[in-house]
Amino acid sequence: MRLLKRFLEQVGSRMDPEVLSIDSKRFTLNQELERQQFSRRGLVYAGTYLGRNRRLFEPGSPLLQVLAAEEDTRKVHLGRDAAWLFVCGRDVFEENIRRVEGVIELGRHYLVMFDGRCIGYGRYETSAGIRVIRNLFDLGDFLRREGSD
Amino acid sequence: MAWSRTLVVSREETGKQFFLDRYRMLGHRLTGDEKTPKAIRVNTIKTSDAEIMETLTSLGVKLTRVPYLDHGYVVEKSGFSLGASIEYLLGLYSLQETASQFATQTLAPNAGDVVLDMCAAPGGKTTQIAAYMGNKGLLYAVDVDRRRVYALENNLERCGVENGLVYHGDVTSLDLGTRFSKVLLDAPCSGNYITDPGWFRKRSIEDVHRNAETQRRLLTAVVRHLEPEGTLLYATCSLEPEENELNMEWLLSNHEVTLEEIDGPGEKGLTEVFGQRLSEEISKCHRFWPNITHTQGFFLAKVVMR
Repeated sequence: MRLLKRFLEQVGSRMDPEVLSIDSKRFTLNQELERQQFSRRGLVYAGTYLGRNRRLFEPGSPLLQVLAAEEDTRKVHLGRDAAWLFVCGRDVFEENIRRVEGVIELGRHYLVMFDGRCIGYGRYETSAGIRVIRNLFDLGDFLRREGSD
Repeated sequence: MAWSRTLVVSREETGKQFFLDRYRMLGHRLTGDEKTPKAIRVNTIKTSDAEIMETLTSLGVKLTRVPYLDHGYVVEKSGFSLGASIEYLLGLYSLQETASQFATQTLAPNAGDVVLDMCAAPGGKTTQIAAYMGNKGLLYAVDVDRRRVYALENNLERCGVENGLVYHGDVTSLDLGTRFSKVLLDAPCSGNYITDPGWFRKRSIEDVHRNAETQRRLLTAVVRHLEPEGTLLYATCSLEPEENELNMEWLLSNHEVTLEEIDGPGEKGLTEVFGQRLSEEISKCHRFWPNITHTQGFFLAKVVMR
């Protein structure tokens, strides 16, 4: 819970979900699933995937989309070309940020948005004298994961 | 003398001509070179057909709607891999062959159902079921292969499924603690040559018989999991009657079930197989023949518990 909570605070969310843990993975259940008495034996996935604990909390796509809909979360919006580079694991150069929601400050975390949807998140920092959104997680992880799971 | 039997099998009961001769005896002159086009399914949990059509068209992708599918499109032209676009990663669509999409559509799950997807990985049909359910109700997905279960989990995450419970285990022995109004058994099968170019080299009639036995074991488990009046959609991507009509004939003879007619492209289930006469009920099943539907080979049966 500590890593999840820290992640939510970093991107400016006030979300405080009820969490179901399965190994290192974190989920939250809708009302129907909450009411259901289901077996835990062999269970590997349940309800809405929030993410998993690694060195940092690695958010899942469903959580990112919930956060994208929150007004308070900090966001940077990209065009298609920069968004594609981002989901390929690259950082975002400052000049490729089309719009910012919230104040942009070095050291802060931002959801990275494309066409109204969240494609990952990163931290605004200086790298070799250049200001970038450092890629901390992006949805290209799905394709990379398929090869390594 | 097991080795000599194996030799006979490899000479006479495998190979392209052996299987094409079987299909001819079932009334279809196939060449073995038929193809199925790439297809996508719009994920209505996250987007609409109109939105994804507009986006992909603007990127130079040419799509044609498949008339018998609710949200399926054939890809006529694309300048990039549709399995590696931002929209794919966002779960706005999935790559799913057309006959495969028709299976879930035939089961017709809805928000009030408790659904079991028995051999669920890698999850193409599971995510489609969730979309039909509008992410409501309860969707159990089970698979025995841990590696494939990872792919299933990834698919559920990508497509934004929120009503799913995924289990790793053998569905014939797992106690899920509930009964289901609808079950999809997309059974492990011999497959077909449309989606596997090396299929004729790999398969023998013994594989077909072995798979048919596994399928009967799974069908027996379905009966345990279904509630009275509950519906099973049995599907295989095999063209072999042993895995299809003959299994349904066996199910009708051994369990209290009936078949419901399936309407769609393709043909009715076979009621005569290599000289063996089957129940007329079997004609309610449905077959996708590659030469007729221009899809992969597919078999569907809608079974209702009495």
